[in-house]
Amino acid sequence: MRNKTAASYALLVLGTGLLVFLNMVLGTAAPDDPSYQLILTGIRLPRLLAALVLGGALAVSGYLLQVFFGNPIAGPFVLGISNGARLMTAAALIVLMSGGVHLSALGLVGASFVGAGAVTIAVLVISRHTGKMSVLILAGVMIGYICNALTDFLITFADDRDIVNLHNWTMGSFSGMSLKTVGIAAAITFVGMAGCVALIKPVGAYLTGEEYARSVGVNITVFRLMLILVSSLLSATVTAFAGPVSFVGVAVPHMMRKIFGTTVPAVMIPACFLGGAAFCLLSDMIARLAFSPTELSLSSVTAILGAPVVIAVLLGKNR
Amino acid sequence: MNGPVLACKDVTIGYGSRIVASHIDLEVMAGESVALIGENGSGKSTLLKTLIKEIPPIAGKVLVGGKDIKALSAHDIAGLMSIVMTGSARPEYFTCYDMVASGRYPYTDRLGRLKETDRMAVEEAMRVTGTSDIATRYVTDISDGQRQLVMLGRAIAQEPELLILDEPTNFLDIRHKILFTEAVQKLVSEKGTAVLMSTHELDIVRKMTDRFVALKDGKTDFCGNTDRLTEEYIMSLFRL
Repeated sequence: MRNKTAASYALLVLGTGLLVFLNMVLGTAAPDDPSYQLILTGIRLPRLLAALVLGGALAVSGYLLQVFFGNPIAGPFVLGISNGARLMTAAALIVLMSGGVHLSALGLVGASFVGAGAVTIAVLVISRHTGKMSVLILAGVMIGYICNALTDFLITFADDRDIVNLHNWTMGSFSGMSLKTVGIAAAITFVGMAGCVALIKPVGAYLTGEEYARSVGVNITVFRLMLILVSSLLSATVTAFAGPVSFVGVAVPHMMRKIFGTTVPAVMIPACFLGGAAFCLLSDMIARLAFSPTELSLSSVTAILGAPVVIAVLLGKNR
Repeated sequence: MNGPVLACKDVTIGYGSRIVASHIDLEVMAGESVALIGENGSGKSTLLKTLIKEIPPIAGKVLVGGKDIKALSAHDIAGLMSIVMTGSARPEYFTCYDMVASGRYPYTDRLGRLKETDRMAVEEAMRVTGTSDIATRYVTDISDGQRQLVMLGRAIAQEPELLILDEPTNFLDIRHKILFTEAVQKLVSEKGTAVLMSTHELDIVRKMTDRFVALKDGKTDFCGNTDRLTEEYIMSLFRL
């Protein structure tokens, strides 16, 4: 059991390292290009670091939501949480930009966090009224559609010069970030991950059900609040910096459970972070290189890789 | 401890303003097992939920280890009593060992790491419940009977003074019923644990418990030794 865990971690770290290397060296720029160094450190490095940090955050957020809702196909994207975050970020951008205010990275994360938290609570309220996981997911997808529609309204009324930027961002992408911005994203993710460490123990108890968790001493109200805060912070950070990225949060925790053969949080939280990082590095590499110089949208790639995993989970459930 | 491990003093139970039963008095001593019987809807589950502090009593006092549960924190209560309820969560990729180990929650550090004493308690609980050989199986891959024994192991690993069981032998075959009741009896006789168990199975009440409490028409209908559970009484309790 221990050997399997150690071997799986080793494999995951190696894979992530390899993907970091490939993301750094693969591309159209030739080494004798005078701007080669600049492309490596100014463009590829921040982009792969963004994929690493934000991909990890997204997968961990997905794992927390799956435990919380007792639902193996929950995740920030399917439950509409990413779209809520996107709506609030777009609203903050458009409203403040038209007022001539420049919004800082932290301000964007704040707006995104409000959107993510609001949708999580809405989904939680719905989950109190249904025990069916399909109903919960459908409700989340519907909330996601509503948020998308509202975001589209906002974009319609935005200034022309903002639309190009906004449109790129709303598609989900790790490109265009400076090292400094990635640093801020990493710092916020670090705070979220520190929160996760504090949640390791109660999450383990919550896996056995709310009633049993309470009976061993978990303060359910405090735990719920903490979990919503941490998972919203993680998915909000991703959305604020990279836009909504689909399926990573659902698919990665499932793949990690399969690989590690356990769902225990002390193993899963680090595993999901690494797995999410590797998944996003791979997806971003495919998006960038598959039809180079044309770039694919990141969410299209993550959907193609991640959605079949969700289908596999669903089929496994109804076996 | 000399006083009762669990005591209800003139307790009224229910949800919000809807009263399910009132004026309930009940005591369970260390080393004693008490059955809670009554028709469906008589308030057995509501009473158990009140005792484990899932819902507050509408009136009256519930004392565990001599202290009012209102004044006890979730952590304090966890050190005193553990539970086996009817429905159990079935997390995927979660082993029987993980499940039993989750009962060690009150004793582990902030990261929930198991110490040597915790591992010993888990292994002992699995031995008592006869679940040692399924330790590495996932809880989703075992039978209902085995799962109920694992849940009992979880409750035993918590090292409680009081064990609360809500219809624990429902859906079990005869062999698992016997295994389950024997493990509980062992706990009562060897560790002096107090047990309160709601059930519909009167055979098990007679075999396993010392006393019984019957709920009927929103109040305690009878409270006494198990040998008083006569055919006549059963006929009247269940309106046969």
